[in-house]
Amino acid sequence: MKTPSRQPIIKLEEVSRVYDTGKIQVPALIDVNLDVAEGEFLAIVGPSGSGKSTMMNILGCLDRPTAGLYVLDGQPVDELDDDGLAYVRSRSIGFVFQSYNLLPRTSALDNVATPLMYQGVARKERERRARAALERLGLGDRVNHEPSELSGGQQQRVGIARALVTEPALILADEPTGNLDSHSGAEVLDLFRDLHAIGRTIVLITHDTEVATAADRAVHIRDGRLSEAVPA
Amino acid sequence: MKLADLLQLALSRLSTGKLRTALTMLGVIIGVASVVALVSVAQGATKGISDRLQNLGTNLVTVSPGFTRTGATRGAIGSATTLTLDDSNALTSLSGVAAVAPQLTTNKLVVAGSQNETARIVGTTPGYLSVFAYQMWAGSFINEAAIDNKLRVAVIGATTADNLSLTEASVGTTINIGGLPFVLIGILQPKGGTGNSDDQIVVPFSTVRELFVGSNSVSSIGLSAKSQEDIAAVTSEITATLEQRHNITTGVDDFNITSQAQLLGTVSSVSDVLTILLAGIASISLLVGGIGIMNIMLVSVRERTREIGIRKAIGARGRDILSQFLVEALALSLAGGFIGILVGVVASLAIGTYAGWGFVFNPGTVVVAVGFSLLVGIIFGVWPASQAARLDPVVALRYE
Repeated sequence: MKTPSRQPIIKLEEVSRVYDTGKIQVPALIDVNLDVAEGEFLAIVGPSGSGKSTMMNILGCLDRPTAGLYVLDGQPVDELDDDGLAYVRSRSIGFVFQSYNLLPRTSALDNVATPLMYQGVARKERERRARAALERLGLGDRVNHEPSELSGGQQQRVGIARALVTEPALILADEPTGNLDSHSGAEVLDLFRDLHAIGRTIVLITHDTEVATAADRAVHIRDGRLSEAVPA
Repeated sequence: MKLADLLQLALSRLSTGKLRTALTMLGVIIGVASVVALVSVAQGATKGISDRLQNLGTNLVTVSPGFTRTGATRGAIGSATTLTLDDSNALTSLSGVAAVAPQLTTNKLVVAGSQNETARIVGTTPGYLSVFAYQMWAGSFINEAAIDNKLRVAVIGATTADNLSLTEASVGTTINIGGLPFVLIGILQPKGGTGNSDDQIVVPFSTVRELFVGSNSVSSIGLSAKSQEDIAAVTSEITATLEQRHNITTGVDDFNITSQAQLLGTVSSVSDVLTILLAGIASISLLVGGIGIMNIMLVSVRERTREIGIRKAIGARGRDILSQFLVEALALSLAGGFIGILVGVVASLAIGTYAGWGFVFNPGTVVVAVGFSLLVGIIFGVWPASQAARLDPVVALRYE
């Protein structure tokens, strides 16, 4: 276990998210408490409909909790406006999606460089950094390929390069192996282990307890409530 | 985001769907081209008309005597004999006046060889040629020496020359006017147009007065202003000079001044209305083109909902998305505008050549056309772009 004395990257206190559909109120998250320390590799495991996606949206600053406190990298984010959330996403979070979510008809290089564009980094510099990120993930010979010209495993590695290129405080992966065959999936999980080894903070959201074993620590989510689980 | 990044995004997007881009721009191209072409047509037509007016005489101002009054009966304009040669000479010194031509007209029987006709005889001075914009076809015009010496020389109009079977070879021969021999010294080039400006015989003013009319008055005085802008000033100077000379203090003048300014004013107000009308009709197609852009941009926002979600997830703010889509719409409308200007210029060149007034190009139209297409891009691009900017990233990312 990591020493709890380290500064938490994520701190959730009594966080709830209730969807208001007009007639009825649907609670998706109920009183969630969670601390993730710097350098930790955490898996959030739950079946579909458990509140997993809501958890991912809240942690990724795509959505705001309806109640509770969320501090990310020392910054309370639960009351930021849209631009504020965009800024936090830009600086502090790197997303890895199940369906890769690369920009279509855009080269791997430009895909990886795009987050830097939104940070206002100059073109030359962001191309240099994007190329370096792709090379680190073994895609040095694929920089000019568009997503449609890459295999699923390669696309996901481009996605990971895009998440890493801004050096975010938190890498948030949502079912990153869900669309991959077992071989490519294992490679991606190995990549996350490597990133963890060099001190990256990773939160992996999955329904698959097998995948969750890659993490140091797993928490389970069911019916919007979070429970600690024994590390695998 | 930097403008260069926005432009690059827009250009790469527009170049991935070339057919769609071209079709979207077509509306703006047609709109701008028709504005440019129709405004040019209106201005060309105006230019054609004023060129023809210039033909009547360069910046012509005509002073004619007023009317006589016998008891309660008012005579016709020009019936008075109040204008004199001295009046004409006094007007020569006015600033803004380029040339003065007093005219004393009468009708006489003219005989040349076996042909004869009764022709209008105009006694005038050398200024006549430039005031009424005549050109010599053969021989020379009356000079100052002919005036001073009351020479019996004559210059005839093209129609009169035809009627009397006189040609270039006849210059130097003698013709009879009112029974007196005159040397034919020149033939005028035909001016065309309405009236009988080609059917007349021009002789020195002093000769007509001595031989035929015998009064000190003139039929009318033609003047040419130095430029079109001077006409108004010249007109008021003439009024002041003649009122002083005729001791008129009541404000009821015994002369009339007519100028092309009035005619030109009417023509230009008609052509202004024409221009506005044509530009208005053309703007409707520009409006339709703008709606075409808005339509495509709305479809585009829908199609690219997921892309917008991705961009937001990796750090784009609402205003980044807004500017991306707005710049795309602007690029479409501006590119369409520029192509439209080219098409419009080519079209107006073709129409102008065909209609005969040549190529009339107004840089102001281009500025207006570019401004208008920019405006179209903004007006019809803002709404789709703000739709895109307001998308909820969570919803947009799940959009299939």
